[in-house]
Amino acid sequence: MNKFWIAVFVLPAVLLFSSVYAVSLVILITTSFTNFTAGGGGNFIGLSNYIQLLKPGSEFLQVIKNNIVWVLLQTTLHICLGVVIAFILARNKWYKDVVRTIYMLPNIIPNAALGMLFLFILNPKFGMVNSAIRFITGNKSFMQNWFMEPKTAFGALTITWLPYAGITVILVMSEMTSVSRSLYEAAIIDGASEFQTNIYIILPLMRNIIGTATILAASNMLQKLDIILLTTSGGPGVRTTNMPMSIYRTALIENNYGLANAQGIILILLGLLSVIIIRRLYRMNENNF
Amino acid sequence: MKLGNILSRAFIGLILITIVTISVIPFLWVFASSFKSNAEIMSTKMGFANGLKFSNYVNAFKIAPIDRFYVNSIIVAFFGILLNVFVSSTAAYVLARFPFKGSRFLTVLLSMGLFIPGAALLQPVFLVTSAVKLNNSYAGLVIVYSAFGLATTLYVMISYFKTIPKELEESAYIDGSGFVNTFARIILPLTRPALSTAAVLQFLLCWNEFQFALILTNDHKVRTLPVALYYFKSSFASDYGAMFAATILVIMPSIIVFVLLQKQVVSGLVAGSVKG
Repeated sequence: MNKFWIAVFVLPAVLLFSSVYAVSLVILITTSFTNFTAGGGGNFIGLSNYIQLLKPGSEFLQVIKNNIVWVLLQTTLHICLGVVIAFILARNKWYKDVVRTIYMLPNIIPNAALGMLFLFILNPKFGMVNSAIRFITGNKSFMQNWFMEPKTAFGALTITWLPYAGITVILVMSEMTSVSRSLYEAAIIDGASEFQTNIYIILPLMRNIIGTATILAASNMLQKLDIILLTTSGGPGVRTTNMPMSIYRTALIENNYGLANAQGIILILLGLLSVIIIRRLYRMNENNF
Repeated sequence: MKLGNILSRAFIGLILITIVTISVIPFLWVFASSFKSNAEIMSTKMGFANGLKFSNYVNAFKIAPIDRFYVNSIIVAFFGILLNVFVSSTAAYVLARFPFKGSRFLTVLLSMGLFIPGAALLQPVFLVTSAVKLNNSYAGLVIVYSAFGLATTLYVMISYFKTIPKELEESAYIDGSGFVNTFARIILPLTRPALSTAAVLQFLLCWNEFQFALILTNDHKVRTLPVALYYFKSSFASDYGAMFAATILVIMPSIIVFVLLQKQVVSGLVAGSVKG
């Protein structure tokens, strides 16, 4: 009797998983070796899609490079900032809750909305940033188009996510609450300063959670589409195109499904690779579940 | 020592002021500008020369069916939470309590979604939903989002079920309570904290998701708020005031939910990402 109900209870999850993930993965893998387009096709063409994407000098290599640069920035600078702020807020001063709440806001609102906010404040004509620069420098004709000019587009886009490390802050802070009070007290009795305690005693204990935050930051960078589509659309050229943006363009604008799905496979592999590397670097324990 | 102290205080103050500024200023500036006329916005002067104008909000509703997008977002989030929490809590109960041959493998398999960037599946999911005629429907979005959230909510539920003492169920079974009854009447009510964590996580996913909302919808009847913003961009043309107002209208619910349910959101995000 129980056997029957066990099957009934897991069935919905299995069905949901298969219909969205399993079927999609099969389609993804098989069509990546074909010339499948919106118009049909679907003949086996071996590795042609992959060769086209990865041959020296291809546009997609630039896209991969952009994406890797963003992953590197996010897993280093962004995480460091989050950890530093978590340590500052962990001092439990009066401003702790207010600052943490405010700092979370950009992470809580829809990404698309964050993109719109930046599109407005960086608007060349009336945006707040250019107005401020005009006011400070006195140069009335200053008109930088941050998102559209080749020199600034990449940086402008990076600013929309790099400084917003609210998630890292809450992860590290929640882990800190599990550190026993007596550890701090012992350190203070031994004559350690607050700074020394943080660096030599608390920080090493945070290794696992920082690793987790790093994986999260990396996978986030392999997902970003909304902000890019709303601000630069990946331009100028492919200057600010990442892999999701490229997949979107190839699949839904150029309708070249086979080629888009080969990019999807490369994206998944890059994601797995980054998880493996981060787990190694942070020597994270493997016991899930 | 004294100088070092002053410097470290100055450093901390500078960091805190910077992060607070960059977090609120973009929002506040757009919020303030949403009460200005287009001419005022273009003149880039500070202050409200002609007083506060609510016309931008009125215009935003006229230009785009924002109320419709709100309704769509609420429907998708509501059913997305319902389906996901139902599926994950039933599966998690069995996986946590009744290990069977292959149950470990199944648990790992179901959490695989964590390692697959959604963008990789854009075209296949589009293809499948179109094939079963679920594109441009609430059901399509609800099913896709429920699946995307499954790995995390399943983990949240499994961890919680494991903390409930087994004796509770055993005595229920001895008293003659059936499998479904024990689950629904005795165990599930105990998991309320985990259920609310799962629901909050799933809400954020459904409310904020953009890329699949973009490709799985093709008219305003089912479009959700984030993707609606993308269409405002072209249909609002140069009516910046209305566009500002529309953006604020999209942002507001998230801020309100976060401020009201902060504890649940924070604990949800922590529980959800520890698995990652």
